[in-house]
Amino acid sequence: MYYVELLLVGLVWGCTYAMMALGLTLVYGLLRILHVAQATVFTLGAYVGLLVANHTGSLAAAFVAAGLAAGALGPLIYRLVYQPILDKPPFVALVASIGVLIAMEDGFRLVFGPYGLSFAKNTWFTTSLRFGGLSLNLVQIWIAIAAVVLLLLFALFATRTRAGVAWRATVSDPAIAESFGVSVSGVRHLSFFIASVLAGVAGVLVGLLNNLVEPGMGSVISYKGLAIIVLGGLGNVPGTLLASVLLGVVESFGTVYLDKVMDRDAIAFMFLIVVLMIRPQGLLGKAH
Amino acid sequence: MLELKGFACGYGLVQVVEELDLTVPSGRITALLGPNGAGKTSTLMAIAGHVEVQGGQVLFEGEDITRLAPAERTRRGIALAPEGRRIFPDLTVAENLLVGGYTQTAVAARETEARVMALFPRLQERYRQRAGTLSGGEQQMLALGRALMARPKLLLVDELSLGLMPAMVELCFRALVELKVQGLAVLLVEQNTHRALAAADRVAVLVSGRKVYEATGEQARRDPEMVDSFLGLKEMA
Repeated sequence: MYYVELLLVGLVWGCTYAMMALGLTLVYGLLRILHVAQATVFTLGAYVGLLVANHTGSLAAAFVAAGLAAGALGPLIYRLVYQPILDKPPFVALVASIGVLIAMEDGFRLVFGPYGLSFAKNTWFTTSLRFGGLSLNLVQIWIAIAAVVLLLLFALFATRTRAGVAWRATVSDPAIAESFGVSVSGVRHLSFFIASVLAGVAGVLVGLLNNLVEPGMGSVISYKGLAIIVLGGLGNVPGTLLASVLLGVVESFGTVYLDKVMDRDAIAFMFLIVVLMIRPQGLLGKAH
Repeated sequence: MLELKGFACGYGLVQVVEELDLTVPSGRITALLGPNGAGKTSTLMAIAGHVEVQGGQVLFEGEDITRLAPAERTRRGIALAPEGRRIFPDLTVAENLLVGGYTQTAVAARETEARVMALFPRLQERYRQRAGTLSGGEQQMLALGRALMARPKLLLVDELSLGLMPAMVELCFRALVELKVQGLAVLLVEQNTHRALAAADRVAVLVSGRKVYEATGEQARRDPEMVDSFLGLKEMA
């Protein structure tokens, strides 16, 4: 039972990684930008969610507000930061992205203080469900539900809607897709919007899970997200999801069996190194 | 339909084609022939809006479209089946066609799709299949079908027969003839000179970016050695 619980906890972590990493891989697939500043969207989502939850007492309102705020910030970052430098080499956008992350992190510190805030009432955190000797709290269960629902919605969008098909065509061949009337700029904004809503919702969920929202909370998960999209095979969506879940599980077991040797956050990068030694193209990436 | 006047195109400082006058009428297949590197593909891509027009004018239905974006040209009725086909390999056949008809209303797209299916029944069989898994000939049909979904008046086709099995080449050429009979203007760039000559109503030959020969298909067919000489094939034979 203990192992099953470790597995479940790992899967839950994997779900939060998946919500972050999907957005990163979307942006990379479309623009070849490593969107490190996604972390700041995640953190903004967490703060907005916390403020709304503490003022209204409604978590539903908190998620909606966080999704909207994050969904606005992501496309704004694209418009103001990335779009003007798209014709520069990719590392320019990466440096700009890291700059945005650092500036926003210090912005959060100035506005909300350096120590972090907690939810006034976090019943999800304090309520545990027990079944068959397993124990999970409500936050963990909601993380799993939210990830599955949001990823399914995304899959439906990508395969069942006109805009989704146009979006995939643009990833594949932007010039040809555009010549048939697809708005490439629209597709880019949409990708940032989707990525950011996912990140914002994930931010609130991770805030609830730790019952803490602090300025630097996005950094580690964002860097792990980058490791995950490399693991998955850059730009490969199924690979990214698989890598997210695997990493969550490896970390979950690692914190028990490797805790004398290395920190939890180091495990992700050890895992990255090991996998890349065996499969340099990533888990599901095509060999070139 | 389409008229190039003193047309020049190229990439930055490199001019590939210069002083080209060419008319592409409706209901005719116009073949643009010539050796590798003559500027045929660049001309086609410039007409579609993907390569810079560096001089002269491109007139379509009497209007100057020289500076229009590719999508605007598609809306006006110019569609491209590009070199290397460039279908979307991870999308299904149905999805590729959807993108081709992106400028059309749902009703118009359904109607056009039915016509594409009648022209290429093979695409119907492969409808839900990933385009990347199709054979070369099927991919070429899909590239043509995708272009037709935009309901063009002018169809630009680059290297119809490249890398295809002879039976497929035949199928694709027959489709072009059928489209021309329906009134479409077709501008075809082809390395397979003899097959293109057989289908063409008009022939122009480019060598090193200049037009060196122009005739009706009939004249050119009676005079194949003349074309061959421009293509540098005579010395080889």
